[in-house]
Amino acid sequence: MALLRGCATAGRLLLTGRLSVLTVSAGQNKIPASFLVGSTRASSKAVKDAEPLRKAKTPQGRFDKPEEEKSSDVLQKFPDNVNPITKERGGPRGPEPTRYGDWERKGRCVDF
Amino acid sequence: VAQQHSISTQYPVVDHEFDAVVVGAGGAGLRAAFGLSEAGFNTACVTKLFPTRSHTVAAQYCLVVKLGGINAALGNMEEDDWRWHFYDTVKGSDWLGDQDAIHYMTEQAPAAVVELENFGMPFSRTDDGKIYQRAFGGQSLKYGKGGQAHRCCCVADRTGHSLLHTLYGRSLRYDTSYFVEYFALDLLMENGECKGVIALCMEDGSIHRFRAQNTVIATGGYGRTYFSCTSAHTSTGDGNAMVTRAGLPCQDLEFVQFHPTGIYGAGCLITEGCRGEGGILINSEGERFMERYAPNAKDLASRDVVSRSMTIEIREGRGVGPEKDHVYLQLHHLPPQQLATRLPGISETAMIFAGVDVTKEPIPVLPTVHYNMGGVPTNYKGQVITYTEGADKVVPGLYACGEAACASVHGANRLGANSLLDLVVFGRACALTIAEEHKPGEKLSPLQPSAGEASVANLDKLRFANGSMRTSEIRLNMQKTMQTHAAVFRTGSVLKEGCDKMDDIYQTMDDLKTFDRGIVWNTDLVETLELQNLMLNAVQTINSAEQRKESRGAHAREDFKVLFFDESKVRHSSGNQGPRVWRKTCEEQNPSCLKSSVKYPQSVMIWGAMFCSSLVFLQTLGP
Repeated sequence: MALLRGCATAGRLLLTGRLSVLTVSAGQNKIPASFLVGSTRASSKAVKDAEPLRKAKTPQGRFDKPEEEKSSDVLQKFPDNVNPITKERGGPRGPEPTRYGDWERKGRCVDF
Repeated sequence: VAQQHSISTQYPVVDHEFDAVVVGAGGAGLRAAFGLSEAGFNTACVTKLFPTRSHTVAAQYCLVVKLGGINAALGNMEEDDWRWHFYDTVKGSDWLGDQDAIHYMTEQAPAAVVELENFGMPFSRTDDGKIYQRAFGGQSLKYGKGGQAHRCCCVADRTGHSLLHTLYGRSLRYDTSYFVEYFALDLLMENGECKGVIALCMEDGSIHRFRAQNTVIATGGYGRTYFSCTSAHTSTGDGNAMVTRAGLPCQDLEFVQFHPTGIYGAGCLITEGCRGEGGILINSEGERFMERYAPNAKDLASRDVVSRSMTIEIREGRGVGPEKDHVYLQLHHLPPQQLATRLPGISETAMIFAGVDVTKEPIPVLPTVHYNMGGVPTNYKGQVITYTEGADKVVPGLYACGEAACASVHGANRLGANSLLDLVVFGRACALTIAEEHKPGEKLSPLQPSAGEASVANLDKLRFANGSMRTSEIRLNMQKTMQTHAAVFRTGSVLKEGCDKMDDIYQTMDDLKTFDRGIVWNTDLVETLELQNLMLNAVQTINSAEQRKESRGAHAREDFKVLFFDESKVRHSSGNQGPRVWRKTCEEQNPSCLKSSVKYPQSVMIWGAMFCSSLVFLQTLGP
């Protein structure tokens, strides 16, 4: 079992290694954080029972923007996904959608 | 060439046999399909779109339901009763909704939501883990006397999306056969009985006949008959058109729900909060025209007043843009900080959909279609009914649910968040009715070998059409005509003019030209088929609107501002005369000669204020 895991880990490292070579040759200076995450997960001994993901995220393409730029959504996520005022869990982000009588999201009315 | 054994020698025809066929895989279609599979029926689901791409995915709002027994958890939820939800819905439908259907829906609502939740739909929760409900959609307690009710459940921002994915995921447990990207052409009718569906496989151009004892129509609405609508390009009323071509009537098509501020071109709706925060509507002269129509409320007048005012401004020539067919919603006079805090995301929306910077330029808006209350008439069990010899008659083998059907729970006006509930409850109802009345593996009644010939002939005609007008031109003409004549502002003269124009446009369909003669993935052909369907819907809508000489719910006429009483048809049940009367329009259309006849079935008395005796009354109303 340990041998298998060792092979799997080695395979994963090889895989990530190959991919990082690809990204370097494509002219990007930074290796995206997702790869580091994937490789550290693979090499850490912490995950014993669950099968660690072979690739945490899909590989970065040549024209993709780096991951960090995506978190600029106007509607912020609540801490722990719990709305602090209404104590709703898993509810819509941002201000209360029904505050104007219709269901509003990002200025758009979705239902009325 | 003798066509005894095949309906076409040019197109490969494949025959299938199932216990049940569902046309359409949106919320209602999926629910019906796997409900039937669960009951053991060999079911086919024929859809022109992949299930998770149906228009239900656009519904971000929520389900209205009463979850009983929630004892004021967090002070948000309170004691609730389905009868109060029933009252709100009947009142909201402006007394046109079918009380049987509304009773069925509101009583089944809690069970339906719990069932969805058991399927894995991640509703938002309160601290105790119960489903969180918020106030929305004109819901009240104690028959309108107990204040605002909190009944609306949701899944973060994407209830419709989540619903569709939950239902699709659940349906994969059962062995429903999905025929994705098959365009349903017509119903196979014989002696007034529905025996299946004939469809075109878009991928390879073959014709497929699905023979089944039970056919369920769940094809959605027909927003695309109007120039400005929130619906997807695929909302073309295919179900209504198939039913019309089968010689059956459609119901309440004149009731189309509009929203005043939809972005010109894109069709997205701008929230009323914009006007609530100080945004104003201006015409080509830069005038704040709402001051003339509603001196007190101004831009905060009710939606129908705002829509009508906008339409009148456009009609009188004070619209903006190159075609002077819309108005502006101005927000740049408000401080940008206020906009960003109160209405986060609006600048993004305006930039993406309208291409304007909301802090510098106004947003072009016009009244936009959002929902169609009308459709295929059914009873509360989901069976399609027709109206002959003065009475309702069930059409054997045919069922309908969702926006395509008209049960009718929405009546003349739909309440917010009732639509998703309608989908799941009646999707399930169709499956239950079929399971009750039929058994899986029943022998199919014989079908004539030439069934569906006319559909294939029509397909062929369209594929080689060589007139002078393109599909897109005719479609645009129809959409513009409907937007000008059958939108919010309706009067006798305007509607009559519209009816004549629509007749002319319908005649131009004979002069169609298509370009793609191929058979594989012929989108030109499919768009033309959709145009045929849209035309039937449009013509019936405008004719029904012209015939209904009253104002009720979403159908508001300037020349007949009050509700129409017909005292001679009143049926007294206890000697008291109630305040309102409802009648449904049933429209029949003969596609080839465009003669439509509108019939008004028997009126029924509705007791406006006497809901203490509502249960007794409901039981006396038969199916």
